[in-house]
Amino acid sequence: MEAQLLGAAVAGYGLAGSLAVVATVLCRRLETVIVGLLAGGLVAHTASLALRWDRVGHGPFISMFEVLSSNVWSLTLVFLAAYLRVRAVRPAAAVALPFIFVLMAWMLVTHPDDGHFPATYRTLWLYAHVGFGKVFLGSLLVAAAVGVLMVSGPPGARALRAGGIADEVRAEHLALRFLALAFVFESLMLVTGAIWAQDAWGRYWAWDPLETWSFLTWLALAALLHARFTLRLAPRATAIAIAGVFVLAILTFFGLPFVSTALHKGAI
Amino acid sequence: MNATTIPCHEGPVRRLLREAGSTRLTLVLLAVVALAVIAHARIEGGLAGPLAAAFALAAANLGAALLANERLRADLALFVFHLALLVLLALAALGRLTALTGTLELAQGEVFDGRLLTQESGPLHPDGLTRLRFVNDGFTIAYAEGWRRGRTSNDVRVFGHDGRATRHTIGDIEPLVLDGYRFYTTPNKGFAIVMRWVPRGGQPPERGTVHLPSYPLNEHRQAQSWRIPGTSREAWVMLDLDAPAIDPSRASTFQLPGAHRLVFVTGGERRELRPGDNFAVPEGVLVYEGLTAWMGYKVFYDPTLPWLLACAGVGVLALAAFFWRRFVRERGPA
Repeated sequence: MEAQLLGAAVAGYGLAGSLAVVATVLCRRLETVIVGLLAGGLVAHTASLALRWDRVGHGPFISMFEVLSSNVWSLTLVFLAAYLRVRAVRPAAAVALPFIFVLMAWMLVTHPDDGHFPATYRTLWLYAHVGFGKVFLGSLLVAAAVGVLMVSGPPGARALRAGGIADEVRAEHLALRFLALAFVFESLMLVTGAIWAQDAWGRYWAWDPLETWSFLTWLALAALLHARFTLRLAPRATAIAIAGVFVLAILTFFGLPFVSTALHKGAI
Repeated sequence: MNATTIPCHEGPVRRLLREAGSTRLTLVLLAVVALAVIAHARIEGGLAGPLAAAFALAAANLGAALLANERLRADLALFVFHLALLVLLALAALGRLTALTGTLELAQGEVFDGRLLTQESGPLHPDGLTRLRFVNDGFTIAYAEGWRRGRTSNDVRVFGHDGRATRHTIGDIEPLVLDGYRFYTTPNKGFAIVMRWVPRGGQPPERGTVHLPSYPLNEHRQAQSWRIPGTSREAWVMLDLDAPAIDPSRASTFQLPGAHRLVFVTGGERRELRPGDNFAVPEGVLVYEGLTAWMGYKVFYDPTLPWLLACAGVGVLALAAFFWRRFVRERGPA
C-alpha cells in the first residue's frame, strides 16, 4: 500500500507539472486541474510517508530515499501553498515542478532502505531544525522559479504577464518576498541546528562541512539582499543571483552528503 | 541597508565612521568572510586566526554602520537585527576566550576529580572544574542488530559543595550540567581491568583500573600497556574474548564479557590470568580482580551560551518584523 500510494503521488505530481509546462507554453488556464492533481498527490504522499513512519518507527530523516521523499513532499507543499495564496506565483509552476520531478526521479532510483535512527535524533529540535530547513528550501525554490522566468526572455515574460505581473520590477519584488522568507527560515534552521548540535555533540558550531556550506548559503543570501537594497541591482541581475543562491543551497543540502564523511550529513 | 546620508560639515571621526561603515564595504567584507570560512574548512587544522580577523573586520564595519548610517538607525527592526548580529559576533568571540572543551574517562564507581585527559581552553577560562565531583554509577547502551548504537543511559551521583549526593541519569542529548560545565556521554566507552597492587616495601595497597581501547570499535585491539605505580616496571595486558561481548547478530546491550582470559606480560614473562589470580614481581604482587566498564565523557563550558541563544532569537524576530513590514504590510514593488 505504501508503494502504491507513493506511485499515485508521483503520478499526480508528474501530471500536474506536465500540465503546468503546457499551460505556460500554450498560455492555457489549467490552474484548477493543477491544484487538484498536486493536492491529490500530496494526500497520497502524506499517507505513504505515514505508513512508512509507522512501519519503520521513525520519520523520513535517515536514508537518502527518505530524505528525497520528504523533500519532494515539503517542496510540493510549500509550492502549493504559495500557488494558492499568491496568484502571481502560478506561472512559476512550469519551472518549480520540473525541478521537483528531478528529485522524484532521483528518489525512485534510490534504494528505499530503512536506516538506523540514532538516539541523538530523539528530540523535538530535529523537527524544528528540519521543518525550518524545508520551509527555507521551499521558499527559495519559489523565488528561484520566478527568477528563472524573469531571465527566460519573451516566453518567461509572457508567462509572468499571464500571472498578472506586468513588468520585471514587480516580478523581482515577488521573488524578493520569497527570498526574504527563505532568509528568515534559514536563520531559524541554523539557530535550531546549533541548539541541537550542542545537546547531541557537545558543541553548537564546529565548522563541519554541512555547517560551513549552510553558513555560506546564509552569507550568500545576506549578500544578495544587501546588494539588492544598497546597490539597487537591476531586476535581471537579482534574478540571476537568486538562481545562483538556489544552486548553492541545493549543492549544500543534496550534494554534500556524497562528498563528506563527517557525522553531520545533510539532506534532511 | 540604504545609502548613508552625508552631512555638509562632516568631522574626521564621523567621516571615518561613515567610510568604515560603508554598505559597499559590507559586501566586500561578506566576501572576505566567505573566503576565510572556505579556507578554514579546507585547510588541515583550520585557519582560526584569519577567520577571526575576517569576522572582526565585518564586526567593525557593522558597528560603524550602526553608528553612522542614519537610515539603518531610523528603522527599529533593521537596527535591532544588525545590533543582534554585532552582539552575536562579540559573544562568540568572548565565548572562544572563556570556553573549555575536554575529555575524560571514568570507570564504573570512579569519582571525577577535576582532571581531564585532553583539554583546550581560552585564555580567560575561569577554571572551576577542580571543585566539581561526580561518580559514574554505571551505564546501559542499547544496540540494534549489526552493532548499531541506540539509547545511552548513564547513572551518575553528583556531590554538592555541602557533600550531599544527588542522582541523575544522563546520556545522548541529556548532559550533566554542573556550574555551567556540561558533561556529555560519548560513543567512546569500553572495558576496564580492575587491579590491586600490593607493594613489597610495606606501602599501602593501591586499587586502580586500566582502560582498554573503546569497544566495540576496537574489538580486536583490546590491549593496553601501563606502568605499575611506584615502579619503573612496564606491563602489558590483553583481553582475550571467546565471543564478542555484544552479539552483532541480534538486538543487545553493552555488557561485560562472560568467559574471558587476561593475557598479562611484564619483564619478558607472560601469564594468563582469571579474576582473583595473582602475579608476583620483585616489587610486589598484582591481583587481577575482574572487569568493569568505563565511559568516555566530553566536557564543554561556555558562559555565553544562553546569551547567544537570546541574541539569535531577537535577531531573527527583528529580521522577520523588518521583512513583514517591507513585503507584506507595504505591498508593491521595492
